Amino acid sequence: MSREEIFAKVVDIVRPFAKDKEALDQATMETNILEDLKVNSARLVDVILEFEDEFDIEVEDEDADAVNTIGDAVELIEAKVS
Amino acid sequence: MTDAHDLSRRERFALSMQRAVSRVTSFFWIPASAFTMRFLLGYRIRNASRLRKRFRSLIRESDGPVLICANHLTMVDSALVAWALGGTWWSVFNFRWVPWNLPEVTNFASGGLAQLATWLTKCIPIRRGGRREEVSSALRRVEHLLSRGETALIFAEGGRSRTGRVEPDSVAHGMGRIAASVAGCKALCVYLRGDRQQSWSMLPVVGDSFYVDIDMFEPTSDSSGIRRSRDFARQIGERLAGMEEKYFARRK
Repeated sequence: MSREEIFAKVVDIVRPFAKDKEALDQATMETNILEDLKVNSARLVDVILEFEDEFDIEVEDEDADAVNTIGDAVELIEAKVS
Repeated sequence: MTDAHDLSRRERFALSMQRAVSRVTSFFWIPASAFTMRFLLGYRIRNASRLRKRFRSLIRESDGPVLICANHLTMVDSALVAWALGGTWWSVFNFRWVPWNLPEVTNFASGGLAQLATWLTKCIPIRRGGRREEVSSALRRVEHLLSRGETALIFAEGGRSRTGRVEPDSVAHGMGRIAASVAGCKALCVYLRGDRQQSWSMLPVVGDSFYVDIDMFEPTSDSSGIRRSRDFARQIGERLAGMEEKYFARRK
């Protein structure tokens, strides 16, 4: 799966949790999930669980700590699926 | 499992120092805190001696790390829980069972004096919803303490419940994460509520009496990773919600 495909899927997964949909439409790899997209920090776990289901991967809490931006999520998933 | 919460030498030293100073000064601040609650604010724990006996019996049986998980309605809940479970002098002489707390930075640790008070009273300030590395660092310190025989208190929903009721769907993931990452960790669920506590507030009503119920169990999960932590957090939240149901059923 290409990085662009992972990015598109990540954006789709984050969409229901993002309060700022406009920012999501313009999301880049640098977009911060909590600060820019206004995802509730308590819901970030649900977002990561959706990544697990969608990409058939397993994420540790410590891995999840490193997920601040969309790019971080894409890189984590890339590392797990490869 | 213990590798995940290993701390740097500096972090371990800072915690040891905090514990040592807190221990020495506990002969002042534990009685002072109990005096304030009992005589200045007029609070009373119903069936306190039976509750404390049960608490001591549970921790004797536990034979391992215990994470205290409580509901949260007022800003003094952590002090109330510690007082309810340990009383005054038992806590002074059994200091490891005086729980570490994770107060919100903006509530308690803003000024110099407040910062010193939180440091002395076994607190590790945390910024809820803050940078993930900071939150993770605070959680790792709690995991480290639990794995070394200390105990910690964490509020199931992170902050005070805005509905006044336990919401199992809103439980803090960090609670499950701590329980899942410390081998053999048991959750001591504490449901505490003042008789006149309708919803969340800054302080309980002066002169209020408190109902306190405790229950201990070891969460389990067939999953691993973040899903395991989520399962643990949910089970604790559901246990507390069940204890709340029991409380309201009794009041009818």
